[in-house]
Amino acid sequence: MATTNDYREIRVEEYVVEKEPFYVPSSDEIEVFEAAYRQRVPVLLKGPTGTGKTRFVEYMAWRLSEKLSAPAATQGENRPANGHLPLVTVACHEDLTASDLVGRYLLDSNGTRWIDGPLTRAVKAGGICYLDEVVEARKDTTVIIHPLTDHRRTLTIDKLGEVIEAADGFLLVVSYNPGYQNAMKDLKHSTRQRFVALEFDFPDAERETQIIAHESGVDEKNAELLARLGQKIRNLREHGLEEGASTRVLIYAGRLIKEGISPRRACQVGVTWGITDDPQIQLTIDEVVSSIFP
Amino acid sequence: MSETTGKGEPENSQQSGEARLTVPQIEAELEQFPAPVAERFRMAQSQLTGRLADETLLEWAYTGLEIARKTVRSWEAASEYFDSSIAVQRQLPSGQFLRWGRTGAGLCNDSPSLAVAYFKASPAAMLRLRPRYIDDWATVTRSLYRGTWKSSALAARLFESTPRLLETLSFDEFCSFGGFLEVLSRRSYDSASESLNQGIALFPKLGTDSDHFIALARAVSESSWRQVKELFDAASDSLTNLPSAQRVALLSLARRLNAMGSTESGPLLRAGSKAVSSVSADSRDRLLELTDRLASVHAAAAPEFLRSAPNVLERVTFQQLVEWHSRGSEISRENPEAAVAYFKLESSAATEALDALSSSIELSRVRDILRMYCQALTGRSIEVSAAQQLADKGIGWFQGELPTTEGTTVYLPSVINRYTSKEENFSFYKVVSTHQVGHIEFGSFEFDFSQPSGMFDDLRPDLPGARKLAQEIEKDKRLKAQMELAQSPEATALIEGVVAAPAEGEGAAAAQREFLTDMSRFFDLFPDNKLALDVFTIVESTRVDSMVMGRYQGISSMYRKVQSGALETRPELEELPARESIVEFLIRWSLGQRDGLVAPKEHLESARKVRRLLDLMSTPEATVEDAAEATIRIYSILSDVRNEEVDEDDFESIDPEEQEEGEDQSGGNEEVNRDDVVQQFMQGAQDKAGEEGESDEDGPETEDAEDQLPGEEEYSSPQEIDYRGEFKPELSQLLSQLQMAQGGEMGDEIDGMEPITQEQLEEMMKNAPELNQQDMQEGEEGQEAPNTDELLENLMKELQKRDPQNQQFQQGPMQHVDEDGGPLDATEPNTFTYDEWDFRAGEYKPRWCLVHQKEMADGEPNFFRETLIDNASLLARIRKQFELVVPEMYRKQKRLEDGEEQDLDAVLEAVIDMKIGITPDEKVYWRRNKTERSVSVAFLLDMSASTAEAIDEAKKPTDDWGAPDDPVEYMVWLRSRRAEGLRRSYKRIIDVEKEGIVLLVNALETLGDTYGIYGFSGYGRENVEFYVIKDLEERFSENVPRRIDRIAPLHATRMGPAIRHAAQKLAEVDSKSRFLFLISDGRPQDRGYSREGVEKEYAVHDTRQALIEAKRMGITPFCLTVDKSGHDYLKTMMEDFSYEVLPDISMLPMRLPQLYRALTM
Repeated sequence: MATTNDYREIRVEEYVVEKEPFYVPSSDEIEVFEAAYRQRVPVLLKGPTGTGKTRFVEYMAWRLSEKLSAPAATQGENRPANGHLPLVTVACHEDLTASDLVGRYLLDSNGTRWIDGPLTRAVKAGGICYLDEVVEARKDTTVIIHPLTDHRRTLTIDKLGEVIEAADGFLLVVSYNPGYQNAMKDLKHSTRQRFVALEFDFPDAERETQIIAHESGVDEKNAELLARLGQKIRNLREHGLEEGASTRVLIYAGRLIKEGISPRRACQVGVTWGITDDPQIQLTIDEVVSSIFP
Repeated sequence: MSETTGKGEPENSQQSGEARLTVPQIEAELEQFPAPVAERFRMAQSQLTGRLADETLLEWAYTGLEIARKTVRSWEAASEYFDSSIAVQRQLPSGQFLRWGRTGAGLCNDSPSLAVAYFKASPAAMLRLRPRYIDDWATVTRSLYRGTWKSSALAARLFESTPRLLETLSFDEFCSFGGFLEVLSRRSYDSASESLNQGIALFPKLGTDSDHFIALARAVSESSWRQVKELFDAASDSLTNLPSAQRVALLSLARRLNAMGSTESGPLLRAGSKAVSSVSADSRDRLLELTDRLASVHAAAAPEFLRSAPNVLERVTFQQLVEWHSRGSEISRENPEAAVAYFKLESSAATEALDALSSSIELSRVRDILRMYCQALTGRSIEVSAAQQLADKGIGWFQGELPTTEGTTVYLPSVINRYTSKEENFSFYKVVSTHQVGHIEFGSFEFDFSQPSGMFDDLRPDLPGARKLAQEIEKDKRLKAQMELAQSPEATALIEGVVAAPAEGEGAAAAQREFLTDMSRFFDLFPDNKLALDVFTIVESTRVDSMVMGRYQGISSMYRKVQSGALETRPELEELPARESIVEFLIRWSLGQRDGLVAPKEHLESARKVRRLLDLMSTPEATVEDAAEATIRIYSILSDVRNEEVDEDDFESIDPEEQEEGEDQSGGNEEVNRDDVVQQFMQGAQDKAGEEGESDEDGPETEDAEDQLPGEEEYSSPQEIDYRGEFKPELSQLLSQLQMAQGGEMGDEIDGMEPITQEQLEEMMKNAPELNQQDMQEGEEGQEAPNTDELLENLMKELQKRDPQNQQFQQGPMQHVDEDGGPLDATEPNTFTYDEWDFRAGEYKPRWCLVHQKEMADGEPNFFRETLIDNASLLARIRKQFELVVPEMYRKQKRLEDGEEQDLDAVLEAVIDMKIGITPDEKVYWRRNKTERSVSVAFLLDMSASTAEAIDEAKKPTDDWGAPDDPVEYMVWLRSRRAEGLRRSYKRIIDVEKEGIVLLVNALETLGDTYGIYGFSGYGRENVEFYVIKDLEERFSENVPRRIDRIAPLHATRMGPAIRHAAQKLAEVDSKSRFLFLISDGRPQDRGYSREGVEKEYAVHDTRQALIEAKRMGITPFCLTVDKSGHDYLKTMMEDFSYEVLPDISMLPMRLPQLYRALTM
């Protein structure tokens, strides 16, 4: 037992979401996404941190994958090579360049060797490539993205002098958080108009309760209170808090509660201290916590 | 002593050297003098003969003659001598009596007027003076005499006053008082004589403690004689109220301090007595002992301690004061200077120590947290203010210490000191805030008359409103009159058909339209709307309480504690008349009391019914409309309860358990019979409407009186509940509606709302139960309620402030004008024309606005300097933030053709490229290089008149009411006002804008960005004023701070042209990135910056267009606004642009640099 690996190594382009991720839709986003996928229209997911964008992509990857492997969908051209839909996720950061996405030559003892970047792999494998927080990436990445998002569906690799036509199952999905307005980091119009956009916001109390209860395993009562807390904290967004409490932190707090930490303390370490360093706002949130939790 | 008597003559030695005169001879001699001498002699002689031995009499007479002979004026003394002798002789044995005379004669050597005073005072003085002290008396008093007129007057005055002084002073005390006067008189006779007068008045009040005071006075007269008067004043003002023990202690303390060099004995006495009276009797000695102990450590600190003690005691207990004192004493030992500041409450150590000890919580300290807490709960921009501020506005709230809300601001008491721990006191604030904000969160003010109730079958539509009924009655009268006119039945029918039918619909509609709020319409249903308001208050508060308890379980235990605290102060049920006792019963029930509740036997069933109705409010589904329906039902039940005195024995207890049996989820409809209620209301409304028709001016009070049956008491509202405070749904609904209309949250709904007229307001004030003047005046004594006119005026002002669009209230040059005219020309230098965007036409109006660019005049550099000093810590933080940017700019710059060293990554890539046969990139070097940070920014400051608004409303300046009519006086007044203006103590919005700019300028100089500062204002399209404070390319010079100083509120805000002009300036600068930073306090507004009915949109759209133009020019605009209601129009105006709305203006100086940094880096 000790010798068997507790982990799995999967090549990026072969990663397929196998288990159904828990996702509670807020409206018709699933149908819209499916439609977009059928038409291969790239999708832009907008919304603040922790509103379930990444989870949604995972869920859709799983769902589409299931549909593809289901017998009814086996015929037809939409079918990817292995019957599954791989999901390639790239978290963008400010030093992410085009070659980090496309690939680069490496030197080895014999000379050089080309290595495909994640985007190239997704294009070849015909999976969903999800660029998380795309505005963070360097501007040169957008040049790469553009031909993939229109009718051409091609990826140009300068270094190789190649153009790759995307495999049929390929779809580009990007996410972006318009929450904080920074003039330097805004999505260009030429870019944003290549996507259909789905807006994400925090779920309503009922949905959030459900999500918290499911994800953290905490009882319904506490889940409801946590959801209420989340809403109250989000009310402060325009009054000093840059980002409201994400569902994620509420879930973490829920998990701590489940482990036997007292709810007030769990909220303090899981929510209050995590979302802000401003002592005044921390105090305020503590007060809200102590009003809500007995 | 020896001096006086020394001159005097040895016993029986008079008449030596001269042949002994006989009494008649002496009499003859005396005849030489003015008549009164001899006359009085004879009078005295006749009285004394027989009482004195002949020898003695002779000597007595001779002494008189001697006196008379002494100097020219001494005959007066002689005359007084004879006069007083009669009385004095009765008091003294003959030896002493003669001695008395000789002492007087001795005085006459010095000054006859002294002798006169001596003799005159003697009869009364002898009553209190032992004979053996007579010489001493004369000596002490005479010591004041130094040969001058003033000194003799003083001494004479002391003689004169002796009898009165001796009433309270012992002779020893008298002597020391005399000694004191002597010391003081060396400095100033005036002062001494004043002290004498003051002493005469003071000593009776001090009684036996006078000696201590005299000792102090003497010490003061020696050390700092000018303070003596103040000492006497202070003593008579303050000492007299103190108990003797503390008085003595205080006086000796003062003497000690004086000995240690303190010159402020008078103030010390005042402070001391104030401090002593502020503590309970058993702590008084301890307080002075503390002071005394402090005095021995550091003399200067002791008076400060006494002075601060009353303030400190407002916050802490005496025991804690002792603690506070001992911490201060420790400081004294180490650092005496710091101790003075400590006890003056000026050092932070002192306030911190006090905070640590005190359990009270001041609103000012927790305001921010409570505000955010309220915002978190409601999700709206809720303000938190001291309740007094609302009361000061005089718009219908009168109680400065009760919490309340008007829908947008939660008003709280300014300090809470009801529990022994800080935590509990803070929790009380929290409970109060949660309840008040609960009214907002759970929709008390969103009452909609036509919204159906979920629990009850609606009665509201069936009930007749008083106003509607009044109109119908009016209509009936008219009809009848017409019927009488038209004799024939056919005509009657015709008229009826024509008149009645349309009037029906119109009348109802008109009645509805007249109500300002749904709440007004609701209260109009009730014949007695005072009772209705009371009931609704209970019902709605109960609903809010139970919502709060349900949703915020964490606070419920404290909530219950507050409720039971409130129960303790409620009046006894048995002492109230029937109806009031049931109202009170409801309140107690709503506060959670279950046991020991009673109701009048006769009305037991009614009490149960209303209780069941009230209980329905505790279900989570209850809405404000349910509360309204419940109110109607409870009101209906209560109206049947006569408000008569009930004997204590006629009360019966109500079992708390009973409620369950009757519970059958009928939704409360069963408690009252629908038709009965309608009938009852109809009757009441008719009565009321009828009365109103007859006598318009009568208040509800008189109606009550008329309705009153014998034995029935006038109903009076229950006492308020501390945490629920004042609940005024009608006013709140009115105010919050306006606020929301302004903020646009209600959108289209409100657009149709017509402006409120003064008549409507008057009407509302006449009818609204919550504005009932008589009630307010009867209620709290000392609370002077403003009269109706004042109230109306204040309310109008408030409404106008909340809704500047409300044309009805608009004054001044901002009237809506539809501008005509053609394009303008920029003929003068420094003027520029710009197009303006007409969004309705979808086109530009060419050369529509004329911008006048002016250089701002120089002011004083102080504002700049002071701002930097005042914000030193913030400045340091901003600098640090900005300095962090600087190293970033020194980062390695990669991919250069030439540089310090080769970049390994780039070289590798180049090698790879060469291997695979691609042209390699030659840029393989890196260099540490100062990157060109090429940023230009123009700051555009809104200098509109509205920026003159004080940020703290309580500190608003007074208006121009006091302006005198006379032109000369007016000029003087104006000048003094200008001078005041310079010393303005309140802060305006523009001051905060300026502060922000100052801090930013300082930081920008660190960065080296190109920046310009401009201000804009103007009136009308021909006069857009554009002030240059610092041009983009201009270097920072000492003129810039001077110009900043001159930034002041001017006229209107026509943003469009100002933006266009600033953008033009930016475009001319060579820079990689350009920013336009707009700082404003609200909506763009100007004369003619509007089109009929769409005023807001026109200006907003033009501004937006100007921003779009700027963006096209490669400029990034950013708008920072401090308009609290700004969000909605900013959404339109700034769509796709970045902006931020500051909820709190005071955040601006801090936020501005942050934003700048985030935006440009």
